[in-house]
Amino acid sequence: MRGFDVVVIGGGLLGCFTARNLCRRRLHIALLEAREDVCTGVSRANTAIVYPGYDHKPGTLKAEMTVRANARFAELCAELDVPFSRCGSLMLSCGEKADAVLREKYNNGLSMAVPGLRLLSGEETRELEPSLTKSVTSALYAPTAGTVNPWELGIAASENAAANGAELLFNTRVLGIRKTAEGYRIETDQEVFACRAVVNCAGLYADKVQEMLFPSAVRIVPDGADYLILDRAADNKPTHIIQYEPEDGGKGFNAVPTVEGSLLLGPSERDNELDFAVSEKGLASVRERAAFVLPGLDLGAVIRSFAAVRPNPRREDGGSIGSFVIENPAPGFWSMIGIKTPGLTCADELGRFAAEKAAAFLNAGPNKRFDPRRSGIKKARGMSWEQRAAAIRSDPDYGEVVCCCEDITKAEVLEAIRRGATTLDAVKRRTGACMGRCQGSRCQQKLLALLARELGVPEDAVTKDGAGSEVLGGGRHAD
Amino acid sequence: MQTELLITGAGAAGIAAALSAWEAGCRDILLVDRREQPGGILPQCLHEGFGLASYGAELTGPDYTDRITERLAQTGVRLALGTEVLAVRGDKTAVLSDRSGLTELCFERLILAAGCRERSIGSLPVAGTRPAGIFTAGQAQEMMNLHGQDVGREVLILGSGDLGLIMARQLVLAGKHVIAVVEQAARHGGMARNYHRCIEAFRIPMIYRATVSALHGRSRLSGVTLRRLDSSAEEYIPCDTLVTALGLIPERELVRGLGDPDWLFLAGNCHRVHELVDSAVAEAEAIGARVGGELAV
Ligand SMILES: Cc1cc2nc3c(=O)[nH]c(=O)nc-3n(C[C@H](O)[C@H](O)[C@H](O)COP(=O)(O)OP(=O)(O)OC[C@H]3O[C@@H](n4cnc5c(N)ncnc54)[C@H](O)[C@@H]3O)c2cc1C
Ligand SMILES: Cc1cc2nc3c(=O)[nH]c(=O)nc-3n(C[C@H](O)[C@H](O)[C@H](O)COP(=O)(O)OP(=O)(O)OC[C@H]3O[C@@H](n4cnc5c(N)ncnc54)[C@H](O)[C@@H]3O)c2cc1C
Repeated sequence: MRGFDVVVIGGGLLGCFTARNLCRRRLHIALLEAREDVCTGVSRANTAIVYPGYDHKPGTLKAEMTVRANARFAELCAELDVPFSRCGSLMLSCGEKADAVLREKYNNGLSMAVPGLRLLSGEETRELEPSLTKSVTSALYAPTAGTVNPWELGIAASENAAANGAELLFNTRVLGIRKTAEGYRIETDQEVFACRAVVNCAGLYADKVQEMLFPSAVRIVPDGADYLILDRAADNKPTHIIQYEPEDGGKGFNAVPTVEGSLLLGPSERDNELDFAVSEKGLASVRERAAFVLPGLDLGAVIRSFAAVRPNPRREDGGSIGSFVIENPAPGFWSMIGIKTPGLTCADELGRFAAEKAAAFLNAGPNKRFDPRRSGIKKARGMSWEQRAAAIRSDPDYGEVVCCCEDITKAEVLEAIRRGATTLDAVKRRTGACMGRCQGSRCQQKLLALLARELGVPEDAVTKDGAGSEVLGGGRHAD
Repeated sequence: MQTELLITGAGAAGIAAALSAWEAGCRDILLVDRREQPGGILPQCLHEGFGLASYGAELTGPDYTDRITERLAQTGVRLALGTEVLAVRGDKTAVLSDRSGLTELCFERLILAAGCRERSIGSLPVAGTRPAGIFTAGQAQEMMNLHGQDVGREVLILGSGDLGLIMARQLVLAGKHVIAVVEQAARHGGMARNYHRCIEAFRIPMIYRATVSALHGRSRLSGVTLRRLDSSAEEYIPCDTLVTALGLIPERELVRGLGDPDWLFLAGNCHRVHELVDSAVAEAEAIGARVGGELAV
């Protein structure tokens, strides 16, 4: 039985950042992830906004963390070599009731010293963003809002954790947890581990994981949401994050100019959980909202739709919970249950919070060799021509474009595989290949061949996202 | 580096344009393609049906390619394969990338013969999961005919343009079960001869006025929801593979934003989608002759 000081359960954003921050201490750490890669759950599908922090009640953990996280975000992304776009956000109002809500949020933000907030008139708003609806009556402008690719951030944190000594174990699902004299015994579908402390970051299943040993006062009641992605070539894309909360209530709508250059629209309004399955009504509602908020937008340029699942935390009596829930049911055991928005913004803060609790419990001193820096895969796109020419000179694979929509070279794909990608989706998440306007119809077959060759497996063993999703031969077994 | 005439895309149209520009007297032509073989999509079209007008015979795609590349070899047109045209700029320069490096190229004229891309299912409002086992028809054709890859067993085809019809037949010939070809219109969208040869001759069921409204299966496709457009009735159809033929989009991203400069010409499928290679070639020849004449020595 292998032993660790701390076992982190779950390799989403929170697990990756918890592991990374635990590495700041002299601790022997394992991260156990049920799936074949990090960030395949909630962290894979969300709105990708780095919030400025005016939304939350002053004095709460959520509000404090968000403001702090936002202020540190550029530095974090520089450390981890992840693109971050501080494009600013405009929260729109189209009526008096919503104007009042914006003023409230503005004052809220001021009281927490959210930098640069401004209330704009409808006219001023449209000057900043000419493609907006004429119905805009006012907007709250937050220059510090931004966007990051969530899985890129999570992958970066996981690579940094691994480089600092954390062990990342994939295809390892936690099935049971027992209390022992020394700490905890973690039973998985692979092996059994012993550890002194546990941080449960199991996302949608965090309540279930806690209940393997302790009762949970919080239950996750999931619901779904849908998103659309528009090609970067779509006409009249906004350059700021646009947020719109309709007067009649209902879910807010966002348009996010992503770091990849595409435009993300959503989430939709719907209340049934469909297991990461897109709902047709949901898609229609996103289109409807988009057509209202950004009338000039070319909705014919949609290249993909996808679904997300919200891990809504509920009290036992069914009441909803607004703040972040970090349970500590017993010494040496922490659970982050139902962390939804702004969990991406606060991933490093939350990870640090949990890591510091665990480190204090274990009396762990600082790890002087901790290196917070990680280098990403060098992307050909975005290099100057001189840099690109130099890259090809040192590695001819940089001369070979594999994904022509997104301009991704063979060198990037091979590096992603060297860094641990074993599936098509893992390559996609690490390089951006297949994410463009042809959605992989011209490059997926090349990626498949490269994966097979590099992993030393037959092509028909290559999967989209883990066992059962074989791409060739009709799949191994139907599910 | 410089060239008088740069042709981007060495498919049927690019080769035809190069040949006629050469014949018209232009002696400085660079023909570039990202693929390792010339011919564009032709080498993956193993069926017969190419070149009835130009060669008086129904050739296969590879045979047709051989004919035009033999002619190309007799000219002084320079062919750069495995080379991506990364950018075209308003000052008549282009940036090319291959394994030996980046090349900045000055040109006098550009003929863009970049073909087209297929519309992917991502653009449709389809509900459900996003599993493995969904391919565009051209992708399935490339996988089967160029890479020997086997796409699936129980196949539904969405879209009845020529690509959909031809892939239906090819999958049947490969021993697959083609459940049906589903088409939203009231008749198929392909040429009559492809319908007769591919669908009627193999008795492949057609389902008209219908679409796929949802995908099922967590990891690999396990089935689709078929929706009848007239009644909105839905039924579940088990299948492990969906092949989509949803239409072709001319590929002009390279010159987006350049407007309509007098040195830029479009030929073949990137100008408009041609059903027949003969028509793509005829269009490209006319452009090649004109541009070649202007540049003739
Ligand atoms: C619709 C939506 C939109 C959002 N938008 C934003 C936004 O714009 N900005 C923002 O800041 N935040 C946003 N968030 C919040 C943010 O996405 C989440 O807070 C964050 O991704 C949560 O990450 P996680 O690590 O908790 O969960 P996950 O990413 O789901 O990770 C949990 C992991 O645990 C693994 N696991 C589960 N059970 C086990 C087991 N038994 N054994 C081993 N492993 C297990 C899973 O496989 C999974 O990989 C949004 C969330 C949602 C749902
Ligand atoms: C499945 C199918 C079946 C068909 N069947 C028949 C038939 O039976 N009979 C018939 O007459 N016609 C048929 N056609 C039609 C005919 O084959 C096509 O219209 C014709 O081949 C198109 O030629 P093209 O040169 O315009 O495009 P393509 O053949 O697509 O060539 C374009 C080339 O440009 C290259 N390229 C694009 N961008 C770049 C870049 N940035 N850098 C470098 N290279 C680039 C591409 O790699 C490609 O090789 C069929 C077409 C298809 C798809």
